Amino acid sequence: MAKPAVVVVGADKGGVGKTTVSRTLLDYFSANNVPTRAFDTEHPRGTLKRFHPEITEIVDMNSTPDQMKIFDTLSAVAPSVTVIDVRAGLMSPTLAALRDIGFLDAARSGQITFAVFHILGSSIASLDEIAETASYMVGAKYFLVKNFINNTSFFEWDQSTYASYFNRIKDATELTIPKLNEMAFEQVEVASVPFLKFVANKGPHDEAANYSFVLRGYVRHWLANVWSEYDRIKLTDIVGSAAKAAAPRQAGEK
Amino acid sequence: MPATPIYIVCSPRPQVGKTLLARLLSEFLLLKNGEALAFDIAIREPSLIDYVPDVTETAEIDDTYGKIQLMDRVIIDDGVAKVIDLGYYSFDEFFKMSEEIGFLKEAARRNVAPVVLFCADTDRLSLRAYDGLQHQIPRSHLITVENEHVLRDDLPDWIKQGRTLRIPALPLFLKTYIDRLSFSFTGYLRREKDTSTELHQWIRHNYYTLRELEHGLILQRS
Repeated sequence: MAKPAVVVVGADKGGVGKTTVSRTLLDYFSANNVPTRAFDTEHPRGTLKRFHPEITEIVDMNSTPDQMKIFDTLSAVAPSVTVIDVRAGLMSPTLAALRDIGFLDAARSGQITFAVFHILGSSIASLDEIAETASYMVGAKYFLVKNFINNTSFFEWDQSTYASYFNRIKDATELTIPKLNEMAFEQVEVASVPFLKFVANKGPHDEAANYSFVLRGYVRHWLANVWSEYDRIKLTDIVGSAAKAAAPRQAGEK
Repeated sequence: MPATPIYIVCSPRPQVGKTLLARLLSEFLLLKNGEALAFDIAIREPSLIDYVPDVTETAEIDDTYGKIQLMDRVIIDDGVAKVIDLGYYSFDEFFKMSEEIGFLKEAARRNVAPVVLFCADTDRLSLRAYDGLQHQIPRSHLITVENEHVLRDDLPDWIKQGRTLRIPALPLFLKTYIDRLSFSFTGYLRREKDTSTELHQWIRHNYYTLRELEHGLILQRS
């Protein structure tokens, strides 16, 4: 059985596109035939669950039973990859909780694959987040994600300042999520389906839909660019050998 | 079942005969098929909608909404040939969008056959634009329009590379005559009994060339 992998997507700042990135990850794993489950910590609402209801469970990261639900089942359940969409403000507490329950030690000793997608906002506060997160990252794969999907310009950043933060974390990798056409993004929101289903012109229950060909084209193009970033970091290799037997992608191909 | 054609008449330059060709195509398709649908994205220039208003709609691709309005309609395999008269100022935006949304792939999936009719000029902008199109459009779907009014036998080498469609020049007084908004090519053929007139022959030559173009496309797909 493949080594369990946990992918945490988070940021302390809200509105930087954590759930969007989580959605692209779930689509990516799905297209690469990597069995995946997801936890949405936006308790009790759950935006991620709206898009991926079959594989997503809403949990309260502050509650011990829910923490047990995630981490005590890592080896026991079939999907080897667990994606956790961490709600705004909970990134640091979540990492602290993972350290306290010994999860980070397990990652350090190689029993578990642990990856963090840290979504950066445009403000200088995001750089402070990097510094704060750095202390937890030993043994983890750490990805700093610049998310341009909502036209973030990262205007406040001075490159040398950013580099000094970036260099504090050994082996940190930078990822870029490109901008998606606003109307296309809105239509996927309204449709409440995964990006992949939108591209394939399917509704929530796989029924034929009637989305705009233009908007589907924009989403397909954008998703292919996002996935090429995931290919670049060899994400399927990172999350384990199960992914290596990946089947051809169905959509968003490049 | 034959694919539904979309003729995209384009150039990055004004005054190269785009609307003239779009008019000829629209009237030819109407005559041959009884129906056609044209989209005028050149409303800042002499406008197709002024010449063939019954089958022409205006369209804009400045924003996403306009793009949806246009592209979601032209991608339909309904057997009705479409003509797009693409203004020079929309040239870059249109082909950038086409590439991004995977227009050609989707068209092939839906049994729709886009044909790009590139109205050539001798300047560097045209050469660069043609170069860009060659990277995006398969050779069989990219046709260079050699409009003698514009090129006057001054043919750059790059124009001779691919397939071409030649529009012969007309004497100036006839050019002025066909430029009148009330003028119809098919109407003239029906009305003018003397088939030896220069204009009669010019229109018949162009219709024949367009029919050959259409047959060529059908043969290619079969």
